[in-house]
Amino acid sequence: MSDLVLTGVAVVRGRRTVLTGIDATFASGRLAVVIGPNGAGKSTLLEAAAGLLAPVAGTITLGGVPLAVIGRRALARRRAYLPQRAGVDWPLSVERVVALGLTPSLPSFGGLPSALQPAVDRALADADLTALRDRPATEVSGGELARVMLARAVVGDPELLIIDEPTAGLDPRHALDALRRLRARADAGCMVIAAVHDVDLALRFADDVVAVKEGGILWAGPIGTVVDVDALCRLYDVDVRLTRDDDGLSVRFTS
Amino acid sequence: MSRALVSSLAAGLVVAIAGSLFAGVVWLSPATIAGALSSTHTTLASLIVVDVRLPRILLAALVGGILGLAGAVLQGLLRNPLAEPGLLGITAGASLGAVVAIYYGAAAAFALATPLFALTGALAAAAAALVLARGGGTLALILAGAAISSLAYAAVYLALDLAPSPYATYEILTWLMGSLADRSWHHVALAGPFILAGAALLLLTGRSLDALALGERAAASLGIDVARVRLLALFGTALGVGAATAVAGSVGFVGLIAPHLVRPLVGHRPSAVLVPAALTGAIIVVLADLATRVLRGSAQGIGLGVFISLVGAPFFLWLVLRTARRTE
Amino acid sequence: MRSAVAAIALLLATGAAAAPVRVMSISECTDQLVLALVPPARIVSVTWLSRDPTTSLMAHAAGQVGVNHGLAEEVLRDHPDLVVADSFAAPTTRALLHRLNVPMIEVASPETIGAIREATRQIARAVGALPRGAMLLARMDRTFADLAADPPLGVRVVAWGGGGFGASRGSLFDALLTAAGATNVAPDAGRGGPDVERLLVAAPTLLVMGADAAPDLHANVAAHPVVRRWQGRSVTVPQAHYFCGTPFIGDAALALRRQLHAAVPR
Repeated sequence: MSDLVLTGVAVVRGRRTVLTGIDATFASGRLAVVIGPNGAGKSTLLEAAAGLLAPVAGTITLGGVPLAVIGRRALARRRAYLPQRAGVDWPLSVERVVALGLTPSLPSFGGLPSALQPAVDRALADADLTALRDRPATEVSGGELARVMLARAVVGDPELLIIDEPTAGLDPRHALDALRRLRARADAGCMVIAAVHDVDLALRFADDVVAVKEGGILWAGPIGTVVDVDALCRLYDVDVRLTRDDDGLSVRFTS
Repeated sequence: MSRALVSSLAAGLVVAIAGSLFAGVVWLSPATIAGALSSTHTTLASLIVVDVRLPRILLAALVGGILGLAGAVLQGLLRNPLAEPGLLGITAGASLGAVVAIYYGAAAAFALATPLFALTGALAAAAAALVLARGGGTLALILAGAAISSLAYAAVYLALDLAPSPYATYEILTWLMGSLADRSWHHVALAGPFILAGAALLLLTGRSLDALALGERAAASLGIDVARVRLLALFGTALGVGAATAVAGSVGFVGLIAPHLVRPLVGHRPSAVLVPAALTGAIIVVLADLATRVLRGSAQGIGLGVFISLVGAPFFLWLVLRTARRTE
Repeated sequence: MRSAVAAIALLLATGAAAAPVRVMSISECTDQLVLALVPPARIVSVTWLSRDPTTSLMAHAAGQVGVNHGLAEEVLRDHPDLVVADSFAAPTTRALLHRLNVPMIEVASPETIGAIREATRQIARAVGALPRGAMLLARMDRTFADLAADPPLGVRVVAWGGGGFGASRGSLFDALLTAAGATNVAPDAGRGGPDVERLLVAAPTLLVMGADAAPDLHANVAAHPVVRRWQGRSVTVPQAHYFCGTPFIGDAALALRRQLHAAVPR
């Protein structure tokens, strides 16, 4: 049982209460998407789930142990988190950036231990970045950067991967590619949680959906059981048409 | 690559230090210096080498080293290539402390009053910046530092305006220009431990600075305690740069330029910049101090800080233009 | 190293035990007194500043001896029997020379007539020139007595100096004005530079200005229309007359008295 369980979670940013009464469960091997209108609290939910924001009420446990008890470094080895529009401030090489994902496993001083080099090589190969490994990460394209960041997140082979907006700013081809890679991670046994703006894309790849509105969970569950026209209408306050085809559910917002 | 760079910079520093033992009011030959360093008798040469030049040159290396190191750490912490100790108000705080010592006559009462007051000022400025920026991010820290810096410099100029005597005015002005002239082993003993302690704290931040290249949130997710890193960086800078400013006066620019010089050579990795930046800073200040000694002609000597800025600013401008062209 | 320093201290001390033969001054104002008290042959060097006649009364004499920049290395190189310094010599240099046990006398930079007497006697004693010091002071006192014998001029003046050396209360410039028989009606006017409003409020009979070699802020103010109203009613004093406190302040006061006398409108 290594589920991530949020029980009665409330989160305050500054003086503003952003989330209240959040109950949710995420399981290994599943891709969960967090959807909802702008400002609903999706990013805050992900940060709380990643253990980066301490809740003012409620508990968050991973495998039954509260995140605060697991400890900063131990948690960092088990969970990877990618913020929105992740980038890098210095022109570090792609390989260096990917290696940064191993920070929690590194000694305090010195370079990358040779035992960890294969992990970096594998992550680069998996993300089709081997040819770009020496290129400064500030000089790659948007789609390539997204792959670099994902490779950075998964290089340590985390059991929990939390990603805020993996498709933001990507063209359809790269957005599809990004979600395919997340899907593959989940299929390999990882627990993947992603906030996704593109509902259509989200519903095509996800197992579970968490719909967040005004700081609370409106509805949540496996796609097949919770997503319908009425649910999406209530979530976004617009009319919706749902069609089902070979690729799965497809959403069109009308009016 | 990095190891080769560190070794060659260290060798360069040793050459610079050895070279500057020769020059000054009296030019000494290598044989004389070797004799002075090995002999047990006290001769003119041994007095000049052991008691006048050596402490001064070592101090130059320590001061330059900590300025370069602090600059590299702050640039990494704030992810801003323009960061340097002056930006966070630490140099200004140290200056104010020293000026208070001079103004209220404590400096005249005992020679080490100025350094001690300066160190206190630097620590106070760092503490104020941390408290003001509490809860805020990097930008809050930069803004708090800028505010403290302006306030401290305003107080320095107020002191200049109200200086009780021409003597105090003269003292404050010379001090603001920065100098290592006639610093003794006393000053090495006073500033050395603080500079080394500050450097140790700063070096602890290396790994975290690498992770911070990804942003504060991402760094935190990698297990970095960002608040602790900030505390280490500011406190280490206040200790080290405070002590350096205390004995050498305000020496700007080294903290800004030293990291820039070495960054491209280490693949821009923030932790790899630290030691080379410290060595580069040390070389810069040792050579600048040598230049101020040699260039002292019939006129008054050039202030160390003034000299570094005079030579450094055009060079830095060239560097900026070159970088701008390359990234176009 | 400590024992080495002690050894050289002994070496230097044996030289200094007799009357100091070779004297070195490392502050501009002690230069003036050393040059006045000691024959050039016995002076190793004075600061390079003392060759500038703008601020140095002894510029000519300074041209006959060596120059230094107030550095410890120069002191070690030239190995004088006595170093003379005041508070304008860098504290770090003085501290280092103390550490190296270099024989040194430090005097306070004199700002009053009394302090001039004190500093002159201190240095005269240290360089073994007590009779010469007494002679200079006696001459100063004689000049002051002559000045005091004349009916007080009582002319109301405002004085502007240059380079931070204003005529504020307690300054040497103020002492010079008083000795010359003038009444400094705005003794705070010099603080922070010349102030045209204060000049108007004080409405002095005469405006006394220190002459600078280089034009500075104060020269700028001198072109102000208000200040030009004092054209023909202003007196210029060489900066060297009030820059350092020396027994020659008597002669400076006498010269200023003559200038004031000539300038007072009748």
